[in-house]
Amino acid sequence: MIKKLLIANRGEIVPRIIRTCHKLGIETVAVYSEADKNAFYLQLADEARLIGPANPVKSYLNIDAIIDAAEKSGADAVHPGYGFLSENASFAGAVASSGRTWVGPSPEVLKAIESKCYCRDLATKIDVPVVPGTVKPVQDPDEIRRFGFQFGFPIILKLDKGGGGKGIEIISGQGQGQVRQAYERLSRIGQLAFASSDCYIEIKVDQPRHIEIQFMADGHGNIVCLGERECSIQRRYQKIIEESPSTVVTENDRKNLYQYTTGLVRAMNYQGAGTMEFLRAGDGKYFFMEINARLQVEHPVTEFVAGLDIVECQLRIASGGRLEVDQDDIRLSGHAVEARVYAEDPATFFPSPGQITKLRFPPGDAEWLRIDHALEEGGVVPPYYDPLLAKVITWGRSRSEAVQLLKDTLSSFDIQGVKTTIPINLDIISSSEFIEGSFNTSFIEKIQQKKN
Amino acid sequence: MEKTINAHMPGLVARVVVKEGESVVKGQEVAVINCMKTELSVESPYDGTVKKILVAEWDEMEVDKPMIILE
Repeated sequence: MIKKLLIANRGEIVPRIIRTCHKLGIETVAVYSEADKNAFYLQLADEARLIGPANPVKSYLNIDAIIDAAEKSGADAVHPGYGFLSENASFAGAVASSGRTWVGPSPEVLKAIESKCYCRDLATKIDVPVVPGTVKPVQDPDEIRRFGFQFGFPIILKLDKGGGGKGIEIISGQGQGQVRQAYERLSRIGQLAFASSDCYIEIKVDQPRHIEIQFMADGHGNIVCLGERECSIQRRYQKIIEESPSTVVTENDRKNLYQYTTGLVRAMNYQGAGTMEFLRAGDGKYFFMEINARLQVEHPVTEFVAGLDIVECQLRIASGGRLEVDQDDIRLSGHAVEARVYAEDPATFFPSPGQITKLRFPPGDAEWLRIDHALEEGGVVPPYYDPLLAKVITWGRSRSEAVQLLKDTLSSFDIQGVKTTIPINLDIISSSEFIEGSFNTSFIEKIQQKKN
Repeated sequence: MEKTINAHMPGLVARVVVKEGESVVKGQEVAVINCMKTELSVESPYDGTVKKILVAEWDEMEVDKPMIILE
């Protein structure tokens, strides 16, 4: 088993991972940039090491600096958290070749699944439906135009190696050089940000809902699925409310999604925890979209309904252990819902960095309420990183019980000095559409239009 | 007369979209700041010609930090 774990990340996920390490008796090393030097969670780690200036390229994205911190601290394993280098094959490779355990799928697997076309091709071969479009990268704007003529506009052009809402162009029609401009713009972004200009086509799915399956796969051929999470409520392709179970996934849907997931995991030769993302169209059809090869922000939702510690499973799998549960042992119970609190203006989602001058919120460490955060009165929310301040996760025997508790908890927050999305979180979960479960990925635009 | 274009938000310089010697008009986008993963456009408050670019991609920005000198 891992003895000393370096956590190559910042913010709320650091104390989250430390908590599991304490339970398992694993020592921890936190890393920080100049901008985070006063973060409270650094005190929770056994050791904290400065890895560079505020600029993430020189700190949290700096492979050499992180490997150096691992060397100096004697850490024998690295957990990448989410974002930053978490799905970076070169980083995973550097950790492995320095003789340390990488908590995640192997560098070879990470390298292969970087390509969405590779994943789409793999899925197609094992009869998992993918969002209709091209499986191979498109060659030129003419091919896009021909596709549009054949299947109709709008179509979506996506970067083969994009992600996190980056590298997506919606092409509404073929007029006025739209196709060429979108193709050239996307290729340029791809070259700059992902060192690959390849892109492919997807049709625009009607009334899409975002449904994902959390799974864990050990190195001994065991795979378990831990139910679905519905993450349809997003702004700028960033999730804001997540829940499990979904109000639309039937027992039969879940069975199919589990079958797709285990098939894909085996075909990819994937080990570790991960998530398969699917789109559900308005007519109830599901399409595989992509794999997230990391611990996800919204993992606590699943931990509540499945009663498992996903970080613990990750650490055991990375150490070569077997999953202690099989699919028949998984009992999903009750309902969990998560609200992400971002440091943003609730009306415009305009970023709001700054200093937290006042902070009041309830203790969140109960079996039905969890608050994962990096908040501190007097603490600074830097402008250089993700705006996520806190995740509030509640559990109830029913959906309405979980949502009511979330409402009560969010209402009792008092954060001053920075603006937060708490008001819009409350608007969403109080809306009749949310209560009825009738929404899709354009829900936030609708709720904002209604207000204006 | 020289005028400077300053950052209106803190964050990191995502890119500078004008070159030295280029003429710009009031309201034109001259640079982009990435603040908490959101890209914010920096617009020139004046008409003028870019004399000097003071920042590079990934530089850390704070409010009112000079980015570009116009003449």
